[in-house]
Amino acid sequence: MFMFRWLWKNMKGDRAIYCCALCMTLVCQSMYIIAPYITQQIIDTFLVGEQAAENLRTGTNTLITMLLMMIGFTVLRCIIQYTSNMCYEHASQGIIYRVRKILFDNIEKQDALFYDHHRTGDIMTVITGDLEMVRHSIAWIIKTTLECIVLFSATMIYFFTIDWLMALCMLALTPVILLITKGFKNVVGPFYVDLREKLSDMNTHAEENISGNRVVKAFAREDTEIGKFDNCNRSYNEANKKAAFTWLKFFPGLEITAQSLSVVCLFFGGMFVALGRMTFGEYAAFAGLVWTLSNPMRTLGNIVNDYQRFTASANKIIELYYGRPFIVDRADAEEVEGRIKGAVEFRDVSFSYGDTEVLRNISIKAEPGETVAIMGATGSGKTTLIDLIPRIYDVSGGAVLVDGHDVRMMKLEQLRGAIGIATQDVLLYSDTIEGNICFGNIDLPEEEVVKYAKAADADGFIQKTSDGYDTIIGERGVGLSGGQKQRISLARALAVKPSILILDDTTSAVDLETEKHIQDALANLDFPCTKIIVAQRISTTRTADRIIVLKDGTVAECGTHEELIQQNGYYREVYDLQK
Amino acid sequence: MARNKFDIDETLETPFDIKHLKRALVYAGKYRKKIFLSLFISILAAVIGLLSPLIVQYAVDNCMKGAETIPMLAVCAGALLLTIIISVFLAQKRAKMMTRVGQDIIYDIRKDLFKHMQELPFEYYDSRPHGKILVRVINYVNSISDLMTNGIINFVLEMMNLLFIIVFMFFVCWQLALVVLCGLPIYGAVIMFIKNRQRKAWQLTSNKSSNLSAYLHESIIGVQISQVFTREKVNAEINDKLAKSYRKTWMKAVGYSNLVWPSTDIVSTLTRAAIYLVGLLFMPGLSLGTILAMGDYSARFWQPMMNLSNLMNTFINAVAYLERIFEMLDEPVTVKDKVGAAEMPEIKGDVHFRDVTFSYEDGTSVLEHLSFDVKAGQSIALVGPTGAGKTTIVNLISRFYNLDSGSVTIDDTNIADVTLHSLRSQMGIMLQDSFIFSGTIMENLKYGRLDASDKEVYEACRIVGIHDYIMSLKDDYDTVVSERGAGLSQGQKQLIALARTILSNPKILVLDEATSSIDAKTERNLQNGLNHLLKGRTSFIIAHRLSTIRNCDMIMYVSNKGVTESGTHDELIAKRGDYYKLYTAQAV
Repeated sequence: MFMFRWLWKNMKGDRAIYCCALCMTLVCQSMYIIAPYITQQIIDTFLVGEQAAENLRTGTNTLITMLLMMIGFTVLRCIIQYTSNMCYEHASQGIIYRVRKILFDNIEKQDALFYDHHRTGDIMTVITGDLEMVRHSIAWIIKTTLECIVLFSATMIYFFTIDWLMALCMLALTPVILLITKGFKNVVGPFYVDLREKLSDMNTHAEENISGNRVVKAFAREDTEIGKFDNCNRSYNEANKKAAFTWLKFFPGLEITAQSLSVVCLFFGGMFVALGRMTFGEYAAFAGLVWTLSNPMRTLGNIVNDYQRFTASANKIIELYYGRPFIVDRADAEEVEGRIKGAVEFRDVSFSYGDTEVLRNISIKAEPGETVAIMGATGSGKTTLIDLIPRIYDVSGGAVLVDGHDVRMMKLEQLRGAIGIATQDVLLYSDTIEGNICFGNIDLPEEEVVKYAKAADADGFIQKTSDGYDTIIGERGVGLSGGQKQRISLARALAVKPSILILDDTTSAVDLETEKHIQDALANLDFPCTKIIVAQRISTTRTADRIIVLKDGTVAECGTHEELIQQNGYYREVYDLQK
Repeated sequence: MARNKFDIDETLETPFDIKHLKRALVYAGKYRKKIFLSLFISILAAVIGLLSPLIVQYAVDNCMKGAETIPMLAVCAGALLLTIIISVFLAQKRAKMMTRVGQDIIYDIRKDLFKHMQELPFEYYDSRPHGKILVRVINYVNSISDLMTNGIINFVLEMMNLLFIIVFMFFVCWQLALVVLCGLPIYGAVIMFIKNRQRKAWQLTSNKSSNLSAYLHESIIGVQISQVFTREKVNAEINDKLAKSYRKTWMKAVGYSNLVWPSTDIVSTLTRAAIYLVGLLFMPGLSLGTILAMGDYSARFWQPMMNLSNLMNTFINAVAYLERIFEMLDEPVTVKDKVGAAEMPEIKGDVHFRDVTFSYEDGTSVLEHLSFDVKAGQSIALVGPTGAGKTTIVNLISRFYNLDSGSVTIDDTNIADVTLHSLRSQMGIMLQDSFIFSGTIMENLKYGRLDASDKEVYEACRIVGIHDYIMSLKDDYDTVVSERGAGLSQGQKQLIALARTILSNPKILVLDEATSSIDAKTERNLQNGLNHLLKGRTSFIIAHRLSTIRNCDMIMYVSNKGVTESGTHDELIAKRGDYYKLYTAQAV
């Protein structure tokens, strides 16, 4: 029932339309029973009745009127049915529109922890395939269930008024149907859970294959990939068949029972007629309406089948729908007044990822406007350290402070809005170059876009592309060289005019001349800005106000370039290597 | 190449092309035996179905006249039950067969599609959002399953049904039969009016759903960037816009589709009314039974028409997806094996570029008339400004792209003449983007050589200096990394990718910024191991850190669409050219 409440909740705005549609369905159902009545009247009056010939001669106009009525009635019914169908579509599209929106907002808010456990293909499956299942359920399952119930009960009432014993005989098969359906329901459920799991696996595999197509080709591993995908494809194929065959296993039982109603009708009805309990006309009434009982019974199996399928999908959607990230604004989070100045302090910070301690007792301070460089061996925790500033992760111990405020007490939007970051794994969007640079600041005027592109030394190669700033770049920036991607990523970070600029190895793939240019530009930004720079090159770090060397998650060395080369530590070693 | 992005609709093919249907039928052709058998079963079931009214008729006429007829009634009821049981089991049999066929066709199509995808060149992947490719392989193929499972058989059955009824009608009263058929032109006109609009609307809907998926996919991948740039609201608006336009096109398409059956229903009623009218008023000699029967037949004539219309709806809907699937299957494989391409013999390592000109897009060449020779076992460093074409040069050695003109030969074999697999499997290419698959670290490392022993894996990891780190993890080499190596640092990913490349035991090694995210000290240690490894292999190294490349046998300075300087480090320094400038800029 929870699922239906959930559906109802998300139907807000279309509820009236949906209920209207349901009512129209009822009207249509009854019209289906009335329409043959008019035809019957025509036949009785003009064809087989005692005065048929007489009527035909005198009542030509009546005939035409009745025929027009018949047509008019059909047209009316079609209009109502069309309208009700469109209402169902409207309502079901409305629901998936709203749910899609909420799901999208939700996945946008989810933190890194969530993404470590949810594969892209899984999320895609939920928002594409599962959502489609929900749409189907609203447009079909509920409507059909209602139709069945109405048709079944109306006919039953009618039958009881004719002959209660006969009606009871007809009803006798219902428990059998219910029993079989119940058995079916319990058996088929897990198959649909499995089926959507297999779909999700296939989605994930295909997604990864597409994203990693370069590596696949580089290692000439196409055959392996085809083999792996074939496994997914086959599993999905088999899961589909299994689910369908489970249904088909129960199908004869349900179908034979439902169709046996006509046997029951023939035998008991015939017997009652033979014994004089019922008139022939009454028997004909029963026989004529047997389908209104057997059809709902037959459909019941389909409904249960689809319902189980819907449940498997809806469970996954609801999981995503109500999933909440851990990193959110605290209830007592406060807005800091004015522009963030950019003071960053790590106060005895520790961080563990799962059971592994990544950072331990780190204390660093950067005053507004200062440049702090971070160095260290691969895996020493540099990226993790800077991830703590925009709260991609939260600290396990100690605190990160911006302008003296614990970042966990700040509004996420304000905190992140004050930070410009160029990550190591450059992720650009399949959008124009301009769109990518303006990513964090969509209202940026064009001349400023060019200004920041120039600062990142990207203007030169952008001008050379076919459409300049309007050139569309591929997803993840494919088609650009590593250095070009990094420079666009830098321009994107600058474009938000951040109070804190974080550069995570942003110039590793650019040549030295370019790097020099970028350094000059960074030193002359037209907005006040604290810079935190992860770098491997001495040429980048030497001008920093402070250099921090991380080793195994702790601060091993700290000082200016001159101070550190005096020490015989990591920095000195790197300096000698690069001399 | 024109790139597509998430909010750009893909081009529509306007005229309806019957070849899509034919092509779909080719897939069905493989299972024609089963399909014919199912058809036969269906016809059998239909014939048996015809028996039941006869049984009922007989019972009503003869078995309801007093208590003594009840045993006979029971026999009739039994016979009726029997026909039901037989036809249900036949239906079950048919459904089983057709489920198998339908699912297997889907499986076949998807398999072909995926196989084709593996052959498609980089350009294909680079020129459209990946989400759009994904929905085709997964969702679109699923969308046509309904058509494949029941569409074909139902179509044939309904056609037979229709034919049967028409013959019957003419047999009973040809004049009234003509009246019934008079409905057809009206119906045809209505369908013609709806059909093209409906088709366009569904095409548009498939486009919009593709856009929506593309944006969703990118949003999931880029979620962290969106968060740090506080883009959530803007993204939500874009998603909203895409979702709205999908909803709008859907409503329009379904609006047309839903028009089809009411039209059938109305035309059906019209012809029925016409029969009564004509029969009663203009054909006075006609028996009442004939008019009654014809009224009934006209309803029976329009029932299969209605079913066929519904089938047409399914079909038009499916074709919108089928088109996209076939379009992808038809996507030309530009980089492919020549007909009769030979296997690349074991590579010694001589590489020659002869007058190579190359461009990604027409008109703007990246390399022009480039020629150089590399001897087996040499290590070559490519340096120069970003975007000058260094990566392009190494990509051409692996034949990731076709040349505009000129040739690349390895050991005097033109690489365009050998199979891609035999060429690439002898090369070790470490790309800028160190893509890590989800799975265990071991699986990732063995990606380049599936039959590598664990010992060899450890050895490779020791050389790149990641072994100790991996051993410190909870499940060491069996540690599962999630998508794109989340949980590993960029440097660690690079080291793993490097170990993966080394492990593939390549004859020619290409390292494209292989160590850019690795700190200088780790790199120094790595260098010693690598030097040992590079011995005897031709290698191409792209790096910005000059310490990495100083020891290479030859350094090529790439700029101005070609190699402007080449020689050893000392030679180039002595030359005081671009390399000298680069070198002195880096010297601290």
